[in-house]
Amino acid sequence: MVKKYFIWGGWLIALALIILLVKWFFVLEEHARARPPATVSSSADNANVEKPCTDDHVEWRGAQEIEGVSILASPVCEPDNPFTIAAATKGTNNVSMSTLMQSHLAQDSIVMGEDLDDDGDPDVIHIKLEVVELNGFSPDGDYLMNTYNIAPGLQPSLWVYAPKMQGMAVKNFNSRVAHPLLRAPSPVIRVEQGDKVYITLENTHYFPHTIHLHGVDHPWLNSEGQDNDGMEEHAIFPGKQHTYEIQPRHAGTMLYHCHVQTAQHFMMGLNGMFIVEENQPNNWVQTLNIGAGQVRHPSVSVKKQYDQEYDLHYQSLDKQLTKIPQEANDPRLISQKMSREYNMSTSTENYFLLNGHSFPYTLRDAMIVAGENENIKLHIANLQRTPIAVHFHGHKATIMAYDGVDAQQGSQITRDVFDVAPAQRLDLSLKTQNDGLNSYGAGLWMFHDHVPTGTTTDGMEPGGNMAIVAYKKLLDEQGMPTMHEGMFNDVFNKEYYAKKRPIWSVGDFAFLLGDAGLVVPENGELIAFFIVFGLLLGIIGLLMWLYVKKDYEN
Amino acid sequence: MKIRRLKDLFKVISIIFLLVLNAAQVSFAMMSMDEKGMVMNANNDNLPKDCPKISEEVNLSIHAGRKYAAKFNGKMFAFDQQEWNVAPCAKINITFINEDQIRHQLMIHGLPGYLYPEGMLHLELYGEGELHASVILPSQKKTYLVHCELAQHAEKGMKAQLKVGGGDGDLPSIPALSAPVKVDVYKLDWQAVMWGGVLILLVSVLAFYSGRVLFLYYLKMNK
Repeated sequence: MVKKYFIWGGWLIALALIILLVKWFFVLEEHARARPPATVSSSADNANVEKPCTDDHVEWRGAQEIEGVSILASPVCEPDNPFTIAAATKGTNNVSMSTLMQSHLAQDSIVMGEDLDDDGDPDVIHIKLEVVELNGFSPDGDYLMNTYNIAPGLQPSLWVYAPKMQGMAVKNFNSRVAHPLLRAPSPVIRVEQGDKVYITLENTHYFPHTIHLHGVDHPWLNSEGQDNDGMEEHAIFPGKQHTYEIQPRHAGTMLYHCHVQTAQHFMMGLNGMFIVEENQPNNWVQTLNIGAGQVRHPSVSVKKQYDQEYDLHYQSLDKQLTKIPQEANDPRLISQKMSREYNMSTSTENYFLLNGHSFPYTLRDAMIVAGENENIKLHIANLQRTPIAVHFHGHKATIMAYDGVDAQQGSQITRDVFDVAPAQRLDLSLKTQNDGLNSYGAGLWMFHDHVPTGTTTDGMEPGGNMAIVAYKKLLDEQGMPTMHEGMFNDVFNKEYYAKKRPIWSVGDFAFLLGDAGLVVPENGELIAFFIVFGLLLGIIGLLMWLYVKKDYEN
Repeated sequence: MKIRRLKDLFKVISIIFLLVLNAAQVSFAMMSMDEKGMVMNANNDNLPKDCPKISEEVNLSIHAGRKYAAKFNGKMFAFDQQEWNVAPCAKINITFINEDQIRHQLMIHGLPGYLYPEGMLHLELYGEGELHASVILPSQKKTYLVHCELAQHAEKGMKAQLKVGGGDGDLPSIPALSAPVKVDVYKLDWQAVMWGGVLILLVSVLAFYSGRVLFLYYLKMNK
């Protein structure tokens, strides 16, 4: 009888202890939270900091002449390959083997023919484009192929039109990094008004594609009576090619893009700028501007009115869509995931790119480098899914053309925010006269899409399409902006965009605004808590033993 | 001051180095190129160190194109064959035929660097057409990677292997020959495994009754 009461009493004590422990746990937690933890110092962890500029091609920066093509200086960190510029201007059939080899273009990629109007420049041009997947799947291991970083550590898969090249699609035979010719955005195509242009799409990709010449004067059918508008029902299948023929009568900034499964293929990166320059004598235009940015060999009419010319390609990526080609190798699975399982009407924009890069990589190759008292021509194209509102700090620029049509005197508007709807283009004149209107003087003036998400990278600020109008004297010898060193350690770091580092992790404020550490309850309290916990377990064990014993004895 | 000069000197040296490197790439002696394609590191008569003479001469015609992928599920590009076997110290005379209207390559990797810079033979056709090139293989038993190096072409099927003296194993993800390291996930056909349910029922009933019989027999024996 006594034994029975003993056991029941034991169970009551155990229950009381459980209640006590649960209550105590919350008290402990509250005590701990009442004492804010120390700042975790992550600034010491700089293992993933990249060099802001790797300074790979110092010799490409200066003004130079190759194959008789004068190439303007490009003092930025990563200038365009001048041999590619020379080959793209003269034609791959008109340059020496040495230039061709250093341009990495295939010998038949840009073939210049006859001078139809006898004005000293070729008017028959045959351009060949391929379709390339960057950051694609590999069945051979847990890695991506032909990698291209849009920002530190970020490798969304991308599809781009690429000039027909020769050799490997990687940097070298033991690298997985994409060849520098293979990058976002798709190259800017430049021809002269009235040129007979043949554009052959050689579909090297595993899905059907087309080229639709948006806004460029082109007949609906080519000379062979075939599709010339790049429509979905005339898709070019893998391994096949098709030639589009144009002779544009109208000059201006236009576009080209794939019109197959357009929502998906456009957002994967199959879009680019197509610029028709005015017909002028001896006008050898730079047929391709790889990666957009500065035009280092501007056309005759641009040179007459402007000191410099830049192509600015605004592009956005959806991280869910761009992950799909990395999730399967079988093209049937990729197609099913991309067009049916993923609903494009729920698509969002996560990455915002200017000329194929997000900040801070925009500082390497997407800056506008200005001198004082210059007039700079800018071609802005919005190839995003949503409108952009480009804002220049320290400047007001003037709209010279809308969608490739020159603006009349009255509609040449001077302002500091330029709203551009999807697929629209603006030609701007940016003057660097320090007069309080055009420019407020020399500086490292930021320019960016003023839609607030435009300066973020998957939500991380600073990122997105942020870039700089940099006055030359404020750049260092590697072409990087001075007075930014403090920020470089933060943002040239893949941990930052992986959201593993606090926003302010270096400098004086690091200990005030760094990451709060974890809360830890005080040792004394914790020991007492665990002792009582142990006691409870012991009592329960004892009671169960007694119970079993009683049963057995019966 | 001195340090700055030293820095400048380094810069000059590195620029010269880069220029020389560039020049070296350009004046590649073992390459031929025209508007149809290019051949890099073909070798007609230089014997590998370990081969006193050519053991056999093999003529291989290798076709590349989308149509050769048709027999493999879920592939887009392929060569007409996925494996070739030759004897040690063999000389192979390759005819590379591209049947697509786009660029394709035939690259053989892992060859001795003293005969083939960067260890590779590289044939490339800018469109439909054919190329000829020879290569002399060393005596070592080895499996060489053969593929097209355009973005996603090897991944989507244009991958094969060349075995010398039986080779030293298979490479992964060669169509219908070896499994990929990273496999695709497909949906299972549940209808095809439905009949398994009947089998399970049958076996379970059988097991129950035979178990019962055995148990009863055991009780009888122990009485």
